[in-house]
Amino acid sequence: MIQTRLPFAWQCLLLGASLLVIAWISLFSWSAVPITPVDAVNALFNMDNTSIPQHIVQDLRLPRTLMGILVGASLAAAGVVMQGLTQNPLASPSVLGVNAGAALGMATVSTIAPWFGLLGTSVAAIIGGGMTWTLVMVLGRAWKGGNDSSRLVLAGVAISALCAALTKASIIMAEDQASGVLTWLAGSLANARWATFDHLWPISLFGLLGSLMLSPTLNILQLGEENARNLGASLILTKLAGSFLVLLLVASAISSVGSIGFVGLLVPHMAKMIGGQDHRRFLPLAMLLGAMLVVLSDIISRSIIFPMETPAGAVLALIGAPFFIYLVRQRTL
Amino acid sequence: MALTCASTLLFSALSQAASSHGSHSANTLDKPITVQDSKGTFTIDYRPKRIVVLEFSFADALASVGVSPIGIADDKDPSRVLPAVRKIIKPWTSVGTRSQPSLETIAALKPDLIIADISRHEGVYADLQKIAPTLILPSRRETYQDSLKAAAIIGKVIGKNKEMQARLAKHQKIMAAYAKQLPKGVVVQFGVARDDTLFLHTADSYAGGVIRALGLANAHTGKNDSASRQTSLEQLLSINPDYLIIGNYTHPSIVDKWEKEPLWSVLKAAREHHILYVNPNVWSRCRGIMAAERMGQDLVNLFHPNQIAPQQ
Amino acid sequence: MSRYIPFFIISVLLISLVIANLLFGAISLSLHDVLRGFQPGSDSYFTIHEYRLPRTLLAILVGAMLALAGALVQGVIRNPLASPDILGVSHGAGLAAVVYMIYFPHSSISWLPAVALAGGLCAALILWWLCGHRSSTIKLAITGVALATFYASTVDFLMLIKPLEINNALLWLTGSLWGRSWPQITMLLPWLVLIPCALYLAKPLNLLHLGEDSAVSLGARVNLLRLIALAVAVALTAAAVSICGPISFLGLVAPHLARKLFGGRHQALLPATMLVGAVLLLMADLVARTIDPPIELPAGIMTAVLGAPYFLWLLIRTK
Repeated sequence: MIQTRLPFAWQCLLLGASLLVIAWISLFSWSAVPITPVDAVNALFNMDNTSIPQHIVQDLRLPRTLMGILVGASLAAAGVVMQGLTQNPLASPSVLGVNAGAALGMATVSTIAPWFGLLGTSVAAIIGGGMTWTLVMVLGRAWKGGNDSSRLVLAGVAISALCAALTKASIIMAEDQASGVLTWLAGSLANARWATFDHLWPISLFGLLGSLMLSPTLNILQLGEENARNLGASLILTKLAGSFLVLLLVASAISSVGSIGFVGLLVPHMAKMIGGQDHRRFLPLAMLLGAMLVVLSDIISRSIIFPMETPAGAVLALIGAPFFIYLVRQRTL
Repeated sequence: MALTCASTLLFSALSQAASSHGSHSANTLDKPITVQDSKGTFTIDYRPKRIVVLEFSFADALASVGVSPIGIADDKDPSRVLPAVRKIIKPWTSVGTRSQPSLETIAALKPDLIIADISRHEGVYADLQKIAPTLILPSRRETYQDSLKAAAIIGKVIGKNKEMQARLAKHQKIMAAYAKQLPKGVVVQFGVARDDTLFLHTADSYAGGVIRALGLANAHTGKNDSASRQTSLEQLLSINPDYLIIGNYTHPSIVDKWEKEPLWSVLKAAREHHILYVNPNVWSRCRGIMAAERMGQDLVNLFHPNQIAPQQ
Repeated sequence: MSRYIPFFIISVLLISLVIANLLFGAISLSLHDVLRGFQPGSDSYFTIHEYRLPRTLLAILVGAMLALAGALVQGVIRNPLASPDILGVSHGAGLAAVVYMIYFPHSSISWLPAVALAGGLCAALILWWLCGHRSSTIKLAITGVALATFYASTVDFLMLIKPLEINNALLWLTGSLWGRSWPQITMLLPWLVLIPCALYLAKPLNLLHLGEDSAVSLGARVNLLRLIALAVAVALTAAAVSICGPISFLGLVAPHLARKLFGGRHQALLPATMLVGAVLLLMADLVARTIDPPIELPAGIMTAVLGAPYFLWLLIRTK
């Protein structure tokens, strides 16, 4: 099994190269204003200030693509950490209600107290996501360990539904906002700009590095809690740190592009298939894959009803939900 | 407060209803009027006095011939009714939202005619008919031409056919006068902006129709046109209209954010300061004869900013 | 004897809510007006007989059906977080309704309940086809959740690429009693046959609660029982949802509340759940109609707003 795999470094290189190609394609593909592949390269290295296509690449497409990469990597890492912490293959931000909670937080703030502005909504997203995550963990009895994984998922789904209903309520009360909020709820990269990117990257980078540092401990956790304790791992500390990282990654991603789901569920499994069970290996692979997936679905989302756009999150959900069904069917419950 | 208000209305309605039974015969017409509405033929053999309308465009049509509806589905926000309409009609009772009007409030008003919208109220058509004869016409997502047709039908039903025809003829004249003051064939695009979305109203929309009727041109917004569509800055750049008309539902809206971006100056309309901010309520919600005239007025103001003092 | 006291209380509550629903609304009527409203030709005939009375009856029926379905599902899945929603029925019905509204905009809206019903039942069949009748209840629940997620994302996707239809669809998807009247009640009536069926299942469900092993040894045919109970729950949910749209949390909260008041014996629990469900929906609709007249809020919002915090509190307390 292991012999048939490429060496880790090669895997990273290969995935990194494909990510670069996809990112390049996303810089020029499906644009309402015709952009050539060469424009995309020139805008990066040899900017011509009079060319509108190059301006579009630099001001719209580049931050959008970078944002896709960051968001994808963040959500994938969050998924890996969540699955590692709960030892539940179905754990992911969207299934366990973190997405829905963050969305509810933002929707509440933007309908009830819009004067808080961008900062307010990000904080609301973090608080909302944190509250649902705690609630789901408590209700699902995930803190105590044990393998009552279906309980965790049911708790997550129930809390998600609850948040979704309340979010919908605030949308309908704020009337006429429906379509805009729906777009946001699905998660779209269309409004990604340098300003949002500047807000996002320090937090994301911190979260990503943190999760890489956590990966050896996650490996130990997989040996079972008893063994982990014997090996000297502090369970409480790990779980707290892990939860904090998950929140940071998910809330920062969601507050900047909206509630993109299923990356955290889908990607860790793909990464495991490629990289094996070692968290130190498949976590970086998952980040690359997550970035690829989000950028790719952003490209698809632009092509479906060109020249109009569909939110990338809606496309991802259409890919992710069948995979969820597949995962459930694979498992022996 | 609202309850007491409603109940006093109820009592006045009751007393009026008692008298209206007597006067009903006086209103009876020699020959019943028959028109085609969205559900087939609609026949009425009296002149309606107590009319409830469930869309703004119908209120506009009534006001155009000096008739006051007693109830309007105004989303409980009187300011949503076009100011010009408000000036003409007498105070009305709100019957709730346009999407889910309160049927019991309508019933309490004892109307003798209800004008409903086929796209919103088809589901309660049967119930509305139990309250009063219901004329059901297109309003939401209708075109400009359909809106004028609906107004003509309403004119017939309320027994003011002659007045309505005259008003429509006057409307054509007013619009033609506006058109004369406007350049021919200039590409104008209207859109409503919210917090994080911009919806362009395409050539198929009501606003698109009014823009065409004023001799201006619609921007080409691409295939499978629907009446309004969400647009990103990138698409707006490719549409690149000569004039951009924005209705902001919120402040700051997405357009306010875009204005600060360097790419905004690439827009033809931005470069030449051809962006006009209008009341989004008038341009997208009201629809109707007077709403169209107000839109024409807005456009003339845009093209001749020095001639007339800015509206509002 | 003390067992009947909660029953008595909740019945009194139900009756007073029915009266309140007839009295209050966008316009408050006197008791005299309400009574006269039952005679054709009187001034309040439309408001009472054609509007408030059918709506009240519908709230009772739908509330009872959804709550009963919830109790059955929780009885079978044996998880306090289970509800008819996790079978994907309401989401399937929602998907069918949205597809119908978007792709057949010109066809009559009166077909909507039938389409939604078909969608809900299809969703149940798909779930059964994926799981078979031999898989464990937990697997069934999680598969149902996954399917529901899939339907929900398809609904979102469709609403995003056809934004014009959003408002109508969203209103339907929130669940509302607005504009429903006698015809809708007639459509629901045949499904009431299922209620005695469900009550008949009470005793075997008790056995199931003792754990599957003892249930087998007691002679109950576990798989068949589970299948029948879930099928009844699916049919009840699909019928209720097809008329009013998915009214959130009723199926989840009502059984919990009933269990707290009446204990876990299904002979008492099932009828009690129906009463509680009816009370909850009546209350929600009353609030939705009177909170800001003449604005009508969807009852589904009120059940979510009222039900969700209570549900959370309950879960945290009983842990």
